[in-house]
Amino acid sequence: MRKLCALGALPTLLLSLTAGLTAAELRLPALNLNDTKLENGLRVIIVVDHTAPIFGIDVAYNTGSRNERPGRTGFAHLFEHMMFEGSKNVGKGEHFILVMNNGGNMNGTTNNDRTTYFESLPKNQLDLALYLESDRMRALEITQSNLDNQRNAVQEERRLGIDNQPYGKAFLDIDNLAYDNFAYKHSTIGEMSDLNAANLQDVQDFFRVYYAPNNAVLTLVGDLDPAETMVKVNKYFGGLPAQTAPPAIDLSEPEHYGERSETIMDPLARAPMLAMAYHIPQGDAPDFYAIQVLEHVLGAGQSSRLYQHLVKDKQFATEVQVQADKRRGPGLFYVVAFLRPGVKPEDAEKVVREDIASVQKDGITNQELEKSRTQFLRENIQSRQSDLFTAIQIGDDVVNFSDPNLINTVVDKFDAVTADQVKNAAQKYLIDTGLAVVWDLPAPHAEKSAAGK
Amino acid sequence: MRMKILSLGLVTLTIFCPTTLLRAQGEGQHGASASKVVRLGRAPVSKDILKVTLPRPVVTKLPNGLTLLVLEQHKLPTVAFSLRIQSGAMTDPKDMPGLAMFTADMLKEGTTHRTSSQLASDVDNIGSSLNASARFSSDSTQISASGLVTNTDRILELMSDATLNPNFPQDELEKYKKRQIANLEQQRSDPDFLGEERFRHAVYGSFPAAVFAATRESVSGISQAQLQAFHDRYYVPSNAILGVAGDVKPSEIKDLVLKYFGGWKDHPIDKAKLGDVPPPSAFKIYLVDRPGSVQTNILAGDYGARRADADYISLVVMNRVLGGGPQARLFLNLREDKSYTYGAYSQIGDDTYRAAWYANTEVRTAVTDGSMHELMYEFNRIRDQQVPENELDESRHAIVANFALSLEQPQRLLNYWMLVQAYGLPQDYWDRYPEHVAKVNQEVVQTAAKKYVDLAHLQVVCVGDRKQIEDVLKKYGPVEVYDADGKRMP
Repeated sequence: MRKLCALGALPTLLLSLTAGLTAAELRLPALNLNDTKLENGLRVIIVVDHTAPIFGIDVAYNTGSRNERPGRTGFAHLFEHMMFEGSKNVGKGEHFILVMNNGGNMNGTTNNDRTTYFESLPKNQLDLALYLESDRMRALEITQSNLDNQRNAVQEERRLGIDNQPYGKAFLDIDNLAYDNFAYKHSTIGEMSDLNAANLQDVQDFFRVYYAPNNAVLTLVGDLDPAETMVKVNKYFGGLPAQTAPPAIDLSEPEHYGERSETIMDPLARAPMLAMAYHIPQGDAPDFYAIQVLEHVLGAGQSSRLYQHLVKDKQFATEVQVQADKRRGPGLFYVVAFLRPGVKPEDAEKVVREDIASVQKDGITNQELEKSRTQFLRENIQSRQSDLFTAIQIGDDVVNFSDPNLINTVVDKFDAVTADQVKNAAQKYLIDTGLAVVWDLPAPHAEKSAAGK
Repeated sequence: MRMKILSLGLVTLTIFCPTTLLRAQGEGQHGASASKVVRLGRAPVSKDILKVTLPRPVVTKLPNGLTLLVLEQHKLPTVAFSLRIQSGAMTDPKDMPGLAMFTADMLKEGTTHRTSSQLASDVDNIGSSLNASARFSSDSTQISASGLVTNTDRILELMSDATLNPNFPQDELEKYKKRQIANLEQQRSDPDFLGEERFRHAVYGSFPAAVFAATRESVSGISQAQLQAFHDRYYVPSNAILGVAGDVKPSEIKDLVLKYFGGWKDHPIDKAKLGDVPPPSAFKIYLVDRPGSVQTNILAGDYGARRADADYISLVVMNRVLGGGPQARLFLNLREDKSYTYGAYSQIGDDTYRAAWYANTEVRTAVTDGSMHELMYEFNRIRDQQVPENELDESRHAIVANFALSLEQPQRLLNYWMLVQAYGLPQDYWDRYPEHVAKVNQEVVQTAAKKYVDLAHLQVVCVGDRKQIEDVLKKYGPVEVYDADGKRMP
């Protein structure tokens, strides 16, 4: 077991801050990371926090929907469901039962870039958590009936979140339209036909290739003793054999030559929606933080430019969301506006384009820059309240950017952005050739519902 | 407005989604289920329950009648204020549904010191949050403000300005009305909204809790005078509880609260007594027709207990067994066993009246019949058969063991104590909670099940495609059909 590094030296306990520090001097509390790797390649990160007698545990696997091939969309997420269906020493459903009945909380998530499994438990259940995670990293019990069962659960998840909702298709189509590379182009939830086609061999193969200790990072945050914890981690995970590293996926996007657009007639919607997405670089690119500042200026809080213009001044929208996706590969900068019935998406789109043009021409004010820094600092401090959330964040940063210390440096990176860099980023990335637009319009019903058949 | 079900871009899908809101038969009867839960019992579980004593806030009553709770936690340099005004949607006049909500929503749209946009700037410039709402389904108005502790003074000043000095500018009011009219339309595309709206009407009848939305008439009819009157009448310190959690010292915070809320003038208010909920209605199924639906959203429930009733705790335990998470009966049956759904849960309310409990699941249309069958099976089972001791023990254990997780969330902890104040619970309520949970034995749970899972008066709502589900639902009882605009259909 080689100790790679111990980062940071500041204590995690904070003394009470009353007068003295101004907002400008308030810093993101530094986390002290114990960062190690087992012989089998499993990276293990421990952060001590004695605030409450609990811990959060996150196992992040270096696989997501980007690893899927055509004909097998939705598979990474379906596989995540299979991880709860039983392993060698844990029965189907037993994971839920053991964690939820012993004072814990738990979930698993899949996105384009990575798959995570996490729990939060009282500190006396550390062995339970490590046992459960290591057992299913070692060997899954996969049966046809369990696969069929979870296939159905996933299909209902898709129906619940997408097919039975207004704007569901629009949210899938915006990515499909924007991206050319299959990896990010297709949806994480997958197509129904592909989900139907998934078979037992697929599950076994996926497990063998991706679910190996050398393809994962284990993060623990909470009321733990690092030395004792490592003894246990070795006990449960040490014997797992490494596998061949999975092939890397090329996430690069080819050059885009023109704006793309789509109009959806939506029988479940009663009001229109506008979704716009611009191509931006990956989450650890030098320009990314400038784009995040732009995200805040345009859409964070009710004083943001788009809220004021679209919701208050023009009264086109009831709600606006602006989001710069922080991905391992090339990302997207989204602007989504939920419009009032009768408003034309092109009118709302014009306002968004004008606001972007305004930043490209005149940049942002110093006051807006300061505001975005304070907002970002606050968001990051707030997110530290939960040990589990902290563990998940670290796991994501390791899988996506090989940087467990990003949680300590992210605010500095944001603060280093200048107003000029924001203006340049707007000019470079928020351009028509990088743009995809979806208009979602309420579709008139074929028959009135009051007819009563 | 519950519009955002989907997230953008990096769509992060979870393994299950615990419910916090309200939110025909192709496959035939399932005989022997193919995919059953299995307990191997090999994983190491510590049998110790961590003894948790919830940290207590410092509680004081200010001279003007405002109750102040302060809970310290110094992990992060943040502070959060929550003001609970004990008048809300249940206080709406019958001809003005939404008045409490409009008043709360309009607090941020202008004060005697700031315009709406100035307030928004002042809040955002210090990276803080300020929110006000008065949701239907409760009788309180909630105003909250939070941010970095270095801005504590300013955060509280902003909160007090919005709370004490709103002036409901006419131009902002006109904009608000337009947004609200749009919301009223949009929410009718949401199956969760449609289900809960119909369920409340079904359960509560003429009781104020039946109202779940404003109307075009009430929105269009709002006047500055009405908002001001509601505000002046009910926003008084003796009708409010202020909670503070975070990196603060009680004595310093008290001085700050006196600075900004000390001048808040009190006057007695005569709150109309809510009275009891009406007698329950007979079992009925309400079908809300939503053409194009690919799922049926099912809600089934009835009256629960008042929060302050001694019986409430037996309902908490019963609910946990029935549908309180992915380890509970509804989830393990309808999802893990029958493959009908992504999730099936039950939840209970808490209020001064007998707020409803209900089970809720979303199933593909073709298994609506099978799902109804399984729901009724589970309702009957928990009534007719005592919950096995080991299963009951697990639920009791879980409820108590879960307190450990709350210790890292100061706002959640504070809320436990705000409840004590709001409902007049005993001061040692949480200290004695584990003891009371331990007393909920098999007989007590079964008595609660027979009382609350009252099959003869169960109200069932199904939101889905009428053409595909009406006939199967008729097998279970009388069916009344409504359209998505709330109109009865023949």
